[in-house]
Amino acid sequence: MHIVVCTKQIVDPEIPSGEFKVDFKAKRAVQDQGELVLNPYDENAIEVALQLKDRDKDIKVTALTMGGESSQKVLRRALAMGCDEAIWLKDPSFETLDSAGTAAIIAKAIRQAGSADIILCGRQAGDWDMGQVGALLAEDLQIPCIPLAYNIEKKGDALFVKRETENGMAVLEVAMPALANITNSSTNQPRYPSVKGVLMAGRKQIPTFSAGDLSIDAEIQKRVVVEELTLPSYDRQVLFIDGEDGPEKAVNLAAHLIKMNLLK
Amino acid sequence: MPGILVYASIGCNAVSMPTREILGMARAIAVKTGEPVTAALLGAGVSPLAQGLIEAGADSVHVCDNDKLGEFHANVYLKILADIAATVKPRIIIFPGEAAALELAPRLAHRLKGGLVTDCIGFEVREDAVIFTKPVYGSKALARMRITSPTALVSVRPRTQEPFGPDQNRKGEVVAVETALGDIEPETRIVERVEEEVFECTLEEANVVVSGGRGLKDTESFGQLRELAALLNGAMGATRVAVDQGMVPPSCQIGLTGKIVAPEVYFAVGISGASQHIAGMSGSKYIVAINSDPDAPIFSISNVGVVEDYRNVMPTLIDELRKALV
Repeated sequence: MHIVVCTKQIVDPEIPSGEFKVDFKAKRAVQDQGELVLNPYDENAIEVALQLKDRDKDIKVTALTMGGESSQKVLRRALAMGCDEAIWLKDPSFETLDSAGTAAIIAKAIRQAGSADIILCGRQAGDWDMGQVGALLAEDLQIPCIPLAYNIEKKGDALFVKRETENGMAVLEVAMPALANITNSSTNQPRYPSVKGVLMAGRKQIPTFSAGDLSIDAEIQKRVVVEELTLPSYDRQVLFIDGEDGPEKAVNLAAHLIKMNLLK
Repeated sequence: MPGILVYASIGCNAVSMPTREILGMARAIAVKTGEPVTAALLGAGVSPLAQGLIEAGADSVHVCDNDKLGEFHANVYLKILADIAATVKPRIIIFPGEAAALELAPRLAHRLKGGLVTDCIGFEVREDAVIFTKPVYGSKALARMRITSPTALVSVRPRTQEPFGPDQNRKGEVVAVETALGDIEPETRIVERVEEEVFECTLEEANVVVSGGRGLKDTESFGQLRELAALLNGAMGATRVAVDQGMVPPSCQIGLTGKIVAPEVYFAVGISGASQHIAGMSGSKYIVAINSDPDAPIFSISNVGVVEDYRNVMPTLIDELRKALV
């Protein structure tokens, strides 16, 4: 059985708002502020795949990414965590695609690579926060799509997928091939790579595919265009509550809130 | 004339508030462009709701009322929605940013080869296009986006748009949708459903929210937050980190990928202030932050702050407030 996990490298999502820098001309974040990292939800997706592999050694997990030179890092990390193979989609024309373009290219690559029984995508990437590629990919490949999934078990030929719902969760049974969009859960926290994993990952051959390798010769149309990026402003001015120690600060805070008549 | 198609989301046998909000948005666009607004209404036993959609701003409603639609399955609903889109031929399709609608939007976008902007919080009607604004980079920036495909799709964040009316004098057309559902089967089977118990009130309805984050060491600490929330007739929330650590259920998560709340008072306890969390609560009227780190980003968006370990503050705070309020 073959699982493909789609991954993306993004600007560190933990950069605080006050320090975040935008390149207004290029209409995207300044790329070299802090680290470029593996999208957190994609880490959860890799973990879900590896948990399936933990229970069945015959399962092969491939991490796929589309990106420029720096994206090799996320594939090495995926391999170090325990993925068996990696695929790198790399071409200048892939650098500024929208969600539809991204999904179309990945679909082509997956079809060309052969079969995928399960495809996992992080629910959204922490840069554009669009959350569409997974669903678009499932439609392109004409396979079922399960959103907000966080755990998958395989029993025979069927998959049992746990997903979040408005006020709880549901377990869905689905036949393969299928795609699931993965969200964070206490049950899918990404494992740390072992030292051995890191060493093996460093030696792994990673095949790359250009537009030509995927038989893409026409310009990929953009359906969504960014006109402008702006930074929001915050106008609160914080008042710090004083006190000798915690309990005294608490007394003063309570008094302040009562005085402001905010609590009923 | 091309128009706007709005997907109607139903909850508890009524049109949802986010649906009324996007109908308001559609009417606001239509007032400038003169184009018709159509609502798509799918479900089992939903026909009586069509008139309410007209009163909330739709000029016509395409209804598919069928027992097979009692349980939501995206692939089944999609078939009908694609048929409605083929009949109405809208230039803009608007989804409320909730539940089933969120599943349908990108899949319909693929079928119609239309660009989709998700989590839209604002829009501007221009001569050449409607420009949609959405938060990006974990809500650290705002992007104004233009959709260049002939059909544009957008899903809209709840509580950002004004509902219209309702105007009980509005009249409109109700069209029955005849899509054959005989040969289509759900692509998944629901094996089990677990609904969580809702304490006091939901997070979105609460006037006071008490939230905990990375700084909280154990589930007992969340018990204290729950105690404070109950005392103030509020609800308890948490950040993604707390959910990941298994300290609270996912339904407590407040943030960009959790619930978005705007209560009268928001207590942020042991929360550093990652932008993705702030995205879920920056609309709160009054923000109180308790954190031992004086440089925590949460303080830059708070009204009042206490730089202190929450364990040294919470018990006394609860006692003092209990004395003052009871």
